[in-house]
Amino acid sequence: MEKRMESSALTDDRSRRRRAAGCMPWRKYAVIYKSVLLESLQYAANMVMGFFSYFIFIFIFVKLWGYIYQTPGELIAGYTKEQMIWYVMMTEMIWFGSNAASVAGEVSGSIRGGNIAYLMNRPYHYTLYVLTKYTGEWSVRLPMYMMFAVVIGTVMVGPLPRFPLAAVPGMALCVVLGLTINAVFKICISLLSFWIEDATPFQWLYDKLLLVVGTMFPVEIFPIALQPLFKLTPIYTVCYGPAKLIVDFSSKKCVEILAAQAVYLAAGGALMLLIYKKGVKKLYVNGG
Amino acid sequence: MLTAVKNQMRVCLLSVKYNIMREMVNKVTFLTNICFMLLNNATFLVQWIILLRLREDVGGYTMREIMLLWGLTATSFGLSHILFARVFSLSELIIKGKLDSFLVQPKNVLVSVLTSSTDISAIGDFLYGVVIVCICRPGVGGFFLFLLFAVTGAVIFTSFALLLGSLSFWFVRMDMVQDQMVMNIVSFATYPDGIFNGVTRFLLYFVIPAGMTVWHPVHMLVRFEAGMLFTVLGYAGGLTALAVAVFYKGLKRYASGNLMEARL
Repeated sequence: MEKRMESSALTDDRSRRRRAAGCMPWRKYAVIYKSVLLESLQYAANMVMGFFSYFIFIFIFVKLWGYIYQTPGELIAGYTKEQMIWYVMMTEMIWFGSNAASVAGEVSGSIRGGNIAYLMNRPYHYTLYVLTKYTGEWSVRLPMYMMFAVVIGTVMVGPLPRFPLAAVPGMALCVVLGLTINAVFKICISLLSFWIEDATPFQWLYDKLLLVVGTMFPVEIFPIALQPLFKLTPIYTVCYGPAKLIVDFSSKKCVEILAAQAVYLAAGGALMLLIYKKGVKKLYVNGG
Repeated sequence: MLTAVKNQMRVCLLSVKYNIMREMVNKVTFLTNICFMLLNNATFLVQWIILLRLREDVGGYTMREIMLLWGLTATSFGLSHILFARVFSLSELIIKGKLDSFLVQPKNVLVSVLTSSTDISAIGDFLYGVVIVCICRPGVGGFFLFLLFAVTGAVIFTSFALLLGSLSFWFVRMDMVQDQMVMNIVSFATYPDGIFNGVTRFLLYFVIPAGMTVWHPVHMLVRFEAGMLFTVLGYAGGLTALAVAVFYKGLKRYASGNLMEARL
């Protein structure tokens, strides 16, 4: 009798938990986010070397653009020297602050090492778990890089001219969406490890596309014929969009970029889930 | 003495040969790594095409000099990562006490450590550098000079990494410093020295040796100067001697991690 009561209490408890999980399926992802956030805070000191590397990049670009802009007030592709350097500082801040290599390394490593066989059976969707974990990581790193970027930018090139403080929430949303889109595409590439042993070379090409075309230069600097093409690539939503809004904000541009990001995120997310679904089937065929 | 050096060289080449053979087990991954690294490096040409559309030269460098700059950096970096890839993770070996298996082998400890791994994508870097320099048509003499500078560059990359890595015998977290400083050579060396001046320029020639690894050699490929050649050779020799001395001095302080490990 006692046993039956105990078992009925357990069943009630389980069903209550199931109901709670059913009402708030995002709760498990909130817990993952919180734990990674706390873990990242513990290792904040490790970021100092990253700051040094970021500083070196910015230093090189300050010198480079200082050489190329020969007269004060000169415009190149519609950007002043200060705007061009701030553009690079913002894209590099997103690049360093997000450290998207970690998300790619984690997925590839789990697939290649076979750990995926355990992770895919947990009570969450694996790709959403990785995405949430990654969000927890950059939530600590990015604000620190942002503060560092503002300090060195102000010291090296002066404050950003005509910066609209009221538009900060729109810019922040754009940066967050940009980072998420980038992570989704990097996960998609890493999921190729289900078919090929090492997807790293594909990551190199994707990174270089973003770095050379999106991070170092604004899209306007490229020949006019190529510009519409770049707007169709992730460069527009991941690097150019957020940085452009920070250095030269306009409400029209903000709406345009956010709309493009929404489309990209939906398409990228669907692609990620599809590749994962197909990859998991392939894993079963191989026996895990 | 000469026989000993010859034997060490033979062991070194055999190690690299077996490292590459091991990586070739999966041919698709092996070839993808090399081909994509070639493409990866080629994307940077876009950056310079854009910049040179804005100005005729950047820091006194036209497209030809930029290609020599990239060619030499990629070849030197590639060569050091093909022959001595382990030096770039030396800090980790020391910090985690993983040197034991190298200490008990009947060959030179340093050579044994340095040649124990090969970075396959570095073959792509090496090939890219050679192709880019050939496109610049440096002539037969110029090509041999380029090969000499590729070797001095690789020696400087390796010695610099060895020097910083060896400091892990005394200091913790040198792994991060080592990675960062080595990559700083690449970051600076792929931009013309003409955009830097004053103290920065001095530091980039002698402290972070981008100047000795790439800039001086590129100047000599454009216009040869014997004095500069001896400066580069002297710097490479001096840095190597210093790095080797620091490694052996530090090795006396090495404490094993009691890690059971077998090297096959």
